Amino acid sequence: MFKVSLKNVLRPGFAGGTFKSGYRFQKYWDTPMATAFFCGETGAGLFIVSMLMDFLPGIILGLLITGVGKTFFHLTHMGVPSKAWRALLRPDRSWISRGLWGIVFFVGFGSIHVLGMLFNVVPAGLESAVYILAIAGAMVVVTYQGFAMSHSTAISFWSTGLMPISSMLYGLLMGTSLVLVLSLLGFSISNPEYFSMVGLAQIALIIAVQICLLSLLHGAKNGSKGAQQSYILLVKDFLARPFLFGVVGIGSIIPLLILLFIPTNFITSLIVTGCIMLGFYLFRLLIFKAGVLDPILSPADIFKR
Amino acid sequence: MTRYGMVFDIKRCIGCNACTVACKQENSLPDGVFFTRTLSAESGEYPNVSRTYLPTICNHCEDAPCEKVCPSGATWTRDDGIVMVDGDKCIGCGSCAVACPYDMRTQIEETQITNGLFGDGKLTPFEEQGYSRFECGSFTKCDFCSERVDGGLDPACVATCPTDARVFGDLDDPDSKVSRLIRDRMGRQPLPEKNTRPKVYYID
Repeated sequence: MFKVSLKNVLRPGFAGGTFKSGYRFQKYWDTPMATAFFCGETGAGLFIVSMLMDFLPGIILGLLITGVGKTFFHLTHMGVPSKAWRALLRPDRSWISRGLWGIVFFVGFGSIHVLGMLFNVVPAGLESAVYILAIAGAMVVVTYQGFAMSHSTAISFWSTGLMPISSMLYGLLMGTSLVLVLSLLGFSISNPEYFSMVGLAQIALIIAVQICLLSLLHGAKNGSKGAQQSYILLVKDFLARPFLFGVVGIGSIIPLLILLFIPTNFITSLIVTGCIMLGFYLFRLLIFKAGVLDPILSPADIFKR
Repeated sequence: MTRYGMVFDIKRCIGCNACTVACKQENSLPDGVFFTRTLSAESGEYPNVSRTYLPTICNHCEDAPCEKVCPSGATWTRDDGIVMVDGDKCIGCGSCAVACPYDMRTQIEETQITNGLFGDGKLTPFEEQGYSRFECGSFTKCDFCSERVDGGLDPACVATCPTDARVFGDLDDPDSKVSRLIRDRMGRQPLPEKNTRPKVYYID
C-alpha cells in the first residue's frame, strides 16, 4: 500500500536510484529496523512502568520483548550479524553503540532484579543498585533510537529533538496500555490505587503523543525542503492514508475517545491497546519511509541558473 | 599537512560518465554499486532550458557524519583527510548510510557478489580478484582511490576525465590547482547547511 516502489521514486522531483538530481528516499532503514525500534521502545516502556509498580508480569514481558524481539529484528536487519558485538565499541560517539550498552544494562540488571524478586538471590545492599541500573538501561533503550535518528542532519525530517521525545512518549504509552491489559487479564497489581493512576497516565500520554505528532508535522512543514517533502508524503501523498488513518486516527484519536466516553473493561482495554500498538508500529514504519534526503546540488538554487 | 580534496568544474563536465565507468573498473564494483555518479538536472522553462551535469562522489567531509555515527569504528579518517571504511570491521547497521546527506554509502549485497556482472552466477577472473576486497552485507564508499593516491597518482575518475572537469589535489597547499580554482572561481560545497564541511567543491 505504501511501498517505496519504482513508481513512487520516479515521481517528479524524486531521483530514486537514477542518475538524476533530486530528492532521494533513505532506503537502508526499513521494516526490520522499524520493528526492532518498536520492540525496543515497547519493551523498555513496559519495563519502566511495571518497575514503578512492582508488577512482575510486566517486568518479565518487557525484558522478553526487548531482549528477544528487538535483538532478533536488529540481527535480521544487520548486514553482518556475526560481528554485531562490534557495535559496543564506540559509545563515545555513536548512539547505536550507547543504545547497545543500554540494552546490555537493561536486560542484564533487569534479569537480576527479576531473579531477586522471585528467589531473593540478590544481596540486600545491592537491590537498589540493581534496580537503578536496570531502570537507567531501560531509559537509554526507550530514548536512544530517537537520538540516533535526530543526531544526523542528513534527513531533515528526523533531525529534530522531538524524535527522542516521541520515542519515550510512545514507549511509556505502550507500557501503560500493556500493564492495564495484563492487570485485566488476571495478573493483579500489588496496589489497586495504581490501576486508576495508570489509566489517567494513559490518557495524558495519548494527548502528549498527539501534541508531539502535530509538532513533528508542523516542524516538517515549515522546515527545510527535504523536511517539507516528508511532510507532503505523510499528509498529502502516498503515505497519507496509513499515516492519517492509521497513526493519527486509529492510533491516537479512537483510543482517546474510547477511554473518555466508554467505561473501562477488558474488551475496551484490549481494543485501546490494539489501536495504540497499530498506530505506534505504523508511526515507526512511516517515519522511516518518509525519510527524504535533500538533492545533492540544485543548480537552480546554488548557481542561480 | 596534506589535506586531499576535489573540485568539479560544472562548465567542463559533459556528462559522459567516463568517470563512473573508470571508478567501477578501478574498484571492481559489483552491479548496482557506484562510488561516483554524474547526475543530470534540467533547469529553466521552455524554450530557455538548460541541462547541467553534476558529478558526485563521497565528499570526505572534515566533520564526517558517517564517522561520527559508526558504532563499530569501521569508518575512520586518514591523516591526509581521506575518509576510509574498513570492511572487516563494518557490521552493516546502515547508520552511516542514513547519516550521509549525500547518499554516498552503498551496501554490498550477497547477490551482487554471487550473481556477477553478467547475472549468470559465474564470476569472471576480473570479478573473482576484485570482489575479494568486499565483505557481503557491509557498507562501502569511495576512498579517493587511496592506493593510487599513495602511489602518487590521481584517482581513477580524475585520470580518465576527458575534459578535466575533475581536479584532485591538496587543499592545504595554497598554490595547488584545487586551491586556486576554489579561490579564483568561488568554489561551493554541496549542502553546506548540513555542517559536514565537505572537501569536494563545485565551480561554475
